[in-house]
Amino acid sequence: MRSVKDVISFFFVLTKKVRKTKIFFFLSFLPVFMAFIVKFSQIFSLSRNIEGIYIFNNMIMAFYMQFLILILALFYGTSVSSEELEGKTLTYLTTRPVSKSAIIIGKYISYTVLTIIMTTLGVVFSFLVLNLNDLHELYLYKILLRDVAVLGLGLMCYTAFFTFVGTILKRSIMFGLIFSFGWENVIQYFPGSTQKFTIVHYLKSLLPSSSTGRFSFLLFRLEPSSTGIAIFMLVLISTVFLALACLLFTFKEYILED
Amino acid sequence: MTAVIQTQKLSKWYGNVLGLSDVTLQIEPGITGLLGPNGAGKSTFLKLITGQIKPNIGKVSINGQRVWNNYSLFSQVGFCPEQDSFYEEMTGWQFVTNLLKLHHFRPDEIENKAEKALEIVELSNDKDRVIRSYSRGMRQRLKFAQAIAHDPNIIILDEPLNGLDPLGRRKIIRLIKEYKSEGRTIVVSSHVLPEIEAMTKKIILIHQGKIFAQGDIHYIRDLIETHPHIVSIKCSHPRLLAEKFIHQDFVSKVYFDPKKNALLVETNNRDTFFALLPSLFVENKIDVEEITSPDDNLQAVFDYLIGK
Repeated sequence: MRSVKDVISFFFVLTKKVRKTKIFFFLSFLPVFMAFIVKFSQIFSLSRNIEGIYIFNNMIMAFYMQFLILILALFYGTSVSSEELEGKTLTYLTTRPVSKSAIIIGKYISYTVLTIIMTTLGVVFSFLVLNLNDLHELYLYKILLRDVAVLGLGLMCYTAFFTFVGTILKRSIMFGLIFSFGWENVIQYFPGSTQKFTIVHYLKSLLPSSSTGRFSFLLFRLEPSSTGIAIFMLVLISTVFLALACLLFTFKEYILED
Repeated sequence: MTAVIQTQKLSKWYGNVLGLSDVTLQIEPGITGLLGPNGAGKSTFLKLITGQIKPNIGKVSINGQRVWNNYSLFSQVGFCPEQDSFYEEMTGWQFVTNLLKLHHFRPDEIENKAEKALEIVELSNDKDRVIRSYSRGMRQRLKFAQAIAHDPNIIILDEPLNGLDPLGRRKIIRLIKEYKSEGRTIVVSSHVLPEIEAMTKKIILIHQGKIFAQGDIHYIRDLIETHPHIVSIKCSHPRLLAEKFIHQDFVSKVYFDPKKNALLVETNNRDTFFALLPSLFVENKIDVEEITSPDDNLQAVFDYLIGK
């Protein structure tokens, strides 16, 4: 446990400083800029105002759920092991009295926490801007909390999956892109139980079944799983892939090319 | 004396490429120099004894314990890798303290140890600069600092003097000798004979993945002494200098390189040659521009020894 804590603190310090984090922080704040534009156009336009929560829901579904958390999890998850190999810094970690599993778990936790913070900040600011006139409505905060929790679970699950992919494959980004925008985006719309082979199926099962938004087709699903099953499956997927990543990283021999 | 590092029939291949073949060694406390030309297998050997790679055949142990996946062993091992790789966004201070954290020291211990290590390598004044801005020599010293910061009993150094200026080299060599006097075990690799010679008399010659010779440096020196040695001299009066050399027994050949405008002298007694050279310059009032040894590298020596 102490090793994991030390690895977390090591990489939390480091990751905050790298350029990749700054770029992704900017990316996660894009919806906030969009929210400002929407709000200004609502204020100065004479046309009928659209409810802020309606735009917010569509933003969560179209940008955060289907794009941002996948990209964040892909780039941070695969880099848990690949950045050490490509940067040839693995030697500094593996010649310390910490197990290889502690390195994987520690890096996974620090990256997951960081991406959750990034996403949450973007979501909260977008929410505040879009619902500026309705901030007294308590039910809106319930929606916000639910969405943040679902996105957090999504990041936890996808990052664990991509951590495993990064330990097993050399070209993990290419595979991750195909998985994220091919498999996850297509299979979820298949009828029957096939859709249950995607992570996004369980994430969407945690959101309300009906949507009135323009992007309501993105919520289309034939057989949503129950909330309990969805949470159980997301935790199970995360645990299994993280355990596999630890096992592989411990026993696989990584040769740093000179 | 008890062996600290032991290998038995150690072999390693990278696909079809042989990295190391049938190496059986016992390394005792003190400084052991691992000498060989580039690509000889020195780094492969060091990676095997630090558990970064698995042997295909054979065994490697430190203090009687297996090395591969035995992370608890590394509280007493310090390793300075050859590659110039860092967490570039960190400062020198963050780099050393964060690596010390992985040894589970208390925060005050971490601070003390990091300060001491950075002071030893003379990086205290630059500790708050990001590593990306460090010069080659500073980076090399930082690598050394992280290897010694946790006060290990076994220090493994892969080409530690690369990129250091003469003063830096002398300082590191002095430090390594100090560690020896404290009874620690130090393994140093290099492809430069005088570097190893300055640190230890106990050397292992490695070539094409095999142990070519091991023992006292004098034995290796004797082998090398018989190796004909070419020295290139650029000076104001090359023909006058050639005339002086031609009468010396230890000079076997004298010729000119018109392209480089240099005098080339082949000698079979390098030490006598270099002892005489300054007096010849002074007596004949010859201005020297450059003295180089085109074949003064280990590869040439190994080629000669193997050919022999």
